[in-house]
Amino acid sequence: MLRKLKSKVNAVLFVILVAAVVALAGTVELAAKELPPIKIGAAGPYTGDVSKIGLDGLNAIKMAVEEANAAGGINGRMIEIVEADDAADPAKAIIVAEMLAMDRNVIGVVGPMNSATVQAALPTYQRAGLPIISQSATYPPLTEMGYSVMFRICPRDDAQGPAAAKFIVEELKAQKIYIIDDKTTYGQGLADQVEPALKAAGVEVLRGQIDMADRDFSPILTRVKAANPDLVYLGLANPAQAASLIKQAAGLGLDVTFMGGDGLKEKDQLIDGSGGLAEGMYVTSIGKDIREVPEAQSFIEKFEGRYGAMSVFSGQSYEAANILIDAARRAASDPMAITRDKVREAISKTDGYRGILGFPISFDAKGDVVGASIFVYQVQNGEFVPVAEYSASVSGN
Amino acid sequence: MEELISQVPQQIVNGITLGSIYALLALGYSMVYGVLRMLNFAHGDVFMVGAFTGWGVLMFFAEDGQVAAPILVLAAMVLAAVGATSILGAAIERFAYRPLRGGSRLVTLISALGVSIILQNAAMILTAGRAKAIPAELLIPQDLVVRAAGATISATRLAMVVVSAVTMVLLDVVVFKTKFGRAMRATSQDSEAAEYMGVNTAQVIALTFVLGSALAGLAGVMIGLYYTQVDYMIGFSAGMKAFTAAVLGGIGSFRGAAAGGLLLGLAESFGVLIAPPVYKDAIVFAVLILTLILRPAGLFGKPSVSRA
Repeated sequence: MLRKLKSKVNAVLFVILVAAVVALAGTVELAAKELPPIKIGAAGPYTGDVSKIGLDGLNAIKMAVEEANAAGGINGRMIEIVEADDAADPAKAIIVAEMLAMDRNVIGVVGPMNSATVQAALPTYQRAGLPIISQSATYPPLTEMGYSVMFRICPRDDAQGPAAAKFIVEELKAQKIYIIDDKTTYGQGLADQVEPALKAAGVEVLRGQIDMADRDFSPILTRVKAANPDLVYLGLANPAQAASLIKQAAGLGLDVTFMGGDGLKEKDQLIDGSGGLAEGMYVTSIGKDIREVPEAQSFIEKFEGRYGAMSVFSGQSYEAANILIDAARRAASDPMAITRDKVREAISKTDGYRGILGFPISFDAKGDVVGASIFVYQVQNGEFVPVAEYSASVSGN
Repeated sequence: MEELISQVPQQIVNGITLGSIYALLALGYSMVYGVLRMLNFAHGDVFMVGAFTGWGVLMFFAEDGQVAAPILVLAAMVLAAVGATSILGAAIERFAYRPLRGGSRLVTLISALGVSIILQNAAMILTAGRAKAIPAELLIPQDLVVRAAGATISATRLAMVVVSAVTMVLLDVVVFKTKFGRAMRATSQDSEAAEYMGVNTAQVIALTFVLGSALAGLAGVMIGLYYTQVDYMIGFSAGMKAFTAAVLGGIGSFRGAAAGGLLLGLAESFGVLIAPPVYKDAIVFAVLILTLILRPAGLFGKPSVSRA
């Protein structure tokens, strides 16, 4: 009797076991049909002083990924974004780089956006063999240090600085320039490029520094006023700080023309933030205003419909994300065989990619973009209006 | 050299403007130190809350880049900021310091640092760490200036200095001529003895916090209009400077705090005549160290007597 029962129990257990195995096999088969997602990192300042450009860049990256996924992802694998907020802080940039490096499904990174954060995080990315495409880090040495994972789609400050100097000397005919920088890799780096170019043209140059955390600019502005320059060049990374400085200059009765770099070309923070006092100011830009590029119109419409006015680097971020996705698609025909190294190789072979920036994008051996231009804009009636264009090729490049 | 001398009048104006704000803040530090013998490190962050409150009120009334009645909006900003910081100051005293009274002074100090960190982080989360531009031009045209003796004085600065001076005179009257002022001074001198004489020291301490915080709120609105932006970290640097000013003047002393604030502002402005502006903070603290070497109790402070 007992034995009979035991065999019955065994039989039931056996049936359950078989059913379980079949069910498991079924799920395994199902999963095989759907490929695991592939990840790209998005590193930038999503909190902190310059978070506006960071978040607008992130939104543009999200749009690029969404469109790519709708078109089948990367050869059948859906793309996921890993957000890596560095708050424009070099120390945090290293931490988030480690985080991205450890996730083996991350095959490439868009960003970081600030020169200082790229500089800090590059050794980590290099060790992990993880390729990065920065949309906005313009500090020249970044591509001179032999890091094979480094690419950027913006021209360098040794193109931007001399172009600004050329404009100051030839168009504005200024004779005495006061340069103020903010001690950041970007701000001071750009100022360091403008100064020798101006001096080479025989113009008198004075320099002063502030700190990114400064809010009271009257000490330096009083010095500037006493020096009585024709133009004040701002090597600043934060457009809100520049707007505040311009307002305080008016309060000191300082009537002078201001000029700044690409980081300040931010309508709502610089122009609106200065309450109209930025009128007449010049900024250089590392790319054409994409509003003038026909291929960019649908992007602009979609972006602004969703997130409101674009930031200076929204278009650059969208382009960088698309170049990374394009390279990943070319990296390997078998989507499961895509590796970081193959993606890096494919990015370096990018040849005349035509996106929304208005010029075909390729990279030179250092990872610098080829064929870009520097534009000069002036604030006229509360808008940035293009007034000059210079080639961004650097001698020896 | 000529260029240097031409900057002197302007740097005096810069120094007095900044100094008057430091003075208002230093008074709050000093008063609280007087009655409680504690350093209220959250004071700078109360000031930050005042600045943000002013910004919020201005943005509420600003429509299409315009403000209907600038004077009324300005008054509303000050009232709201002073109200908010008074309540905040009272709450901090009630919940973060009073329960710890009687314990070690170090415990209250840690609690103050804690409150400071909480306020800073709360503001950081609420603003995503981003500086908020204050459209001060809606209230006072930024290029409206007075030129005198080689200096340019903007309307904003003039208003700041006048308001600070009037406030400090009123405060002086409160402290030295009213019953509350007498109770406060008595508590400062010896809280135990004051209590025996019938002074409600708990009430005096609470009111002192409210008064100090109200001054910080007023200073916050003014600094916001002067800097034309506000962010969650402004309390930290301003707090450090105000603390320095209070120590410089002799902590616990009223007139010392006011003098210390002015002196600090002037030192900061004059320092940049001889050194690059980026060293202005180094100059400020060098002045503090020198003063303390020469007069350990500060300019107006009395040498401390150990209490039984």
